[in-house]
Parts: sequence; C-alpha cells; structure tokens
Amino acid sequence: MKRPIKVLIAKAGLDGHERGALVVAMGLRDAGMEVVYTGIRNTPEQIVQAAIQEDVNAIGLSSLSGGHMAQFARVMELLRKEKIKGVLVFAGGIIPDEDVKKLKKLGIREVFGPGSTIASIAEFLKKSARSRRA
Amino acid sequence: MTNKELTKLVTRLEAGEPLAAEFYARTGTARILGITGPPGVGKSSLIDRLIGEFRRQGRTVSVIAIDPTSPISGGALLGDRLRMQRHSEDDGVFIRSLATRHHQGGLTDATPQIIHALDAAGFNIVIVETVGTGQDEVEVAEVADTVAVILMPELGDEIQRAKSGLMEIADILVINKVDLMNAGTTGRDTIPSAEGKQWERPTIHASAKTGDGLASFCGAIEAHHGYLVRSGELARRRERAARAEVIRLLQSRMTASILRVLEIPRAQNILTDVAQRKLDPYDAVEQLSREIFGSQNRSS
Repeated sequence: MKRPIKVLIAKAGLDGHERGALVVAMGLRDAGMEVVYTGIRNTPEQIVQAAIQEDVNAIGLSSLSGGHMAQFARVMELLRKEKIKGVLVFAGGIIPDEDVKKLKKLGIREVFGPGSTIASIAEFLKKSARSRRA
Repeated sequence: MTNKELTKLVTRLEAGEPLAAEFYARTGTARILGITGPPGVGKSSLIDRLIGEFRRQGRTVSVIAIDPTSPISGGALLGDRLRMQRHSEDDGVFIRSLATRHHQGGLTDATPQIIHALDAAGFNIVIVETVGTGQDEVEVAEVADTVAVILMPELGDEIQRAKSGLMEIADILVINKVDLMNAGTTGRDTIPSAEGKQWERPTIHASAKTGDGLASFCGAIEAHHGYLVRSGELARRRERAARAEVIRLLQSRMTASILRVLEIPRAQNILTDVAQRKLDPYDAVEQLSREIFGSQNRSS
C-alpha cells in the first residue's frame, strides 16, 4: 500500500495564533495526507524530535508573531545537526518578503503568506514531498 | 537501536513489511498498557501525565497514539501527540502517531508488530492509545497486559455500564475530568490489595488537568501488574495475544490469496453469475474455494 504523505504542522515559540495552522492541517487532511498537529508553543528541539519519531515527509512551520527568523533558523540548524535528510520544510504566516528570501536560503522550500490557498499548499507537497520519499 | 533506526522500522512495519525474527526474539519484557475510551474524554492528556509519573520512576516509555483515517479523503489529523509534546525532547520517551488506514477495532493493522518493535528497542512500558472508541472497538484487549478504560462524568447511567463490549475489557476504570464536577478525589478510590489472587476492578477518579488521582491511577496499574504475575494471568494474556496476532496474520494472507483469485477471469464470471441470479452466493463460494484452497479443502 502506498503510504500517504505524512506532514508535521507546528507552531514554534511564543505564538498563540493557532487558527491558520489548524486550517492548513485540516485542509491537508482533506487532501489525503496524514497530518501530525502539535499545536502552539513548540520549541525547535521538540519539533525536530517529533519529526524524527513520526518519520514525516514534510514539516510545516507557522509563525504570526515575528519570531520566524530565530525559530525557523534553529529548526533548520537542528535538522542539519541530526543529519535528517529528505524532510521537506515549508512555512506560512506573516513573514515579510525580505525574510522569505533569507528563509529560502536557509533551506525552507516555500513560504505561504496570507491569501495562499490550501490547494496550492497541497499541490506543492504532492509534487515536492513525494519525490523525496525514502 | 537508536530512535532514528526505530522510527524507520516502525514505518516499514506500518507499510506491511514483516518484523524480522531477530527482533521478535528480543520481545516480551515490556509492559503493554492499553488506554481506550470515547473521543474527547482525555486519553492523551492522561497519558501525558502517566509518562511524567513513569519517567519519575526511572522507566522508559513509548506511546502508540492512534487516530482515525478519513473515510472521505484517506487523510488523517493526528492530534494526540499535541497533548504529550512536552516529552518530545526526553530521550527516554518515544511517541508515534498512527492513522487507522481503515482498520476496524480501534487499532491499526500493524499495531501488534509495532508494539514488538518498541519492546525490542528496550522500552520498559509501551502505551497503546486507541482511537476514540464506541462500545464495540475492543481489539486493544488482544494486545495489552492491562487495559484502562477512560470515561468522564455524565456519560451514562448504570445500564450503560452494564452493557457488553468496552466496559467489560476494563481492568481499570478511570473517570477523568472530575474537576468539572467540583468533586474531590482524596481518599475516594480504593486500590485493590497487592496480595490478592482475584482482581477487583477499581474505579479511579482523576483529572488530567489538575493531576488529581494520578497517583491512584499509577498505583492501580502497578497493582494490576502484580496480580497478572501472581495469578498466572499474564502468561494467559500473552498466549491470547500471540494467538490473536497469528490468526490476524493468517487472515490477511488468506485475504490476499482470495483477492488474487478473484482477479482471474473464471472467478469474475462466477461473480457476474451471482449478480445476475444465475448462481447463488454459497455455490459461488464452493466453486471459488476450490480455486483458492484446492479441492481437498472443500467445506462439508
């Protein structure tokens, strides 16, 4: 049986704005994916360990509080440190354009800002996460 | 086995690959604790508390947390881990969320094999959290040494408690969310004696929110384990679990053979004949059985 794409959706740091992340989690469920939702106030360490234990294909990070550069960079650093390969990282939330460029340089594959559709996120994951599956 | 090796092994088992015999040989030492009950009663939150208690005792803990697969999209929202996420960084804890992928009964196809993998990896305790159950999803009793059924206040009257199924498989009953009723728990619960050969099922009043009753819950789990060992019931349950696992593996192999045979044109014709009322279903089964098992296995 073909394994559905498994995605971790998490919010890092002190950011309680959960609605967007939850809408994306439910949308990806409706697109046939298995979504592990770990909610608000995760540390980057918790996110990376959860990604390992859950053996996900992708990690979606959400931030609406302005902490994205520090938090997301730390997630990417820990993934490198743990030698996790083949896990696609994407992001969403309120993230200024100049930071989007920086985040992409860090290895975050795509950033979905306000107005992004669930369909576009699902399409992106189906195209990008499948080809990376172990 | 490192967490990274373990997580890949679990993925392979989940995909239906068999567990290597060398791993199975290393199993049998972990305690298997089943946590079940209706959706929303606080199973995951209680497990979060239990992990904390077990870790304080110096035991390592792994959790299999199961949520349902959507019958519509085939996707799933796995939301149990969220309640236990504070333990993610603890090396002595391994949590894995699984979607049912349409398996009925409250577990997943590969749950028994995944329990073995966690056991072989050396965890002292393996907790299996079922999907939110109804009255008849009782498969967890086939894999666990101890089953705790979690309920909450106002779920039903005495008649509901007397019904078959879920209520019967409980070794421990936990009424969670007692904080909602302003009901104190101190001194209310009696933990069965540590010596008896009979098990008297305790009812524990607890609150995952406040931590009330958690010591009693842990005490009851410990007491039940003592009873299982003393009475010989542990060996009987493990035999029952082994039997159930082998039967299920045989069934899935049989099902695969049946589906293979149904693909051949002769079988397709038989199915068409049944649909067109030219053949009745029982005669169809007689004919197809010969294809699947050979003529000597024809049923009487």
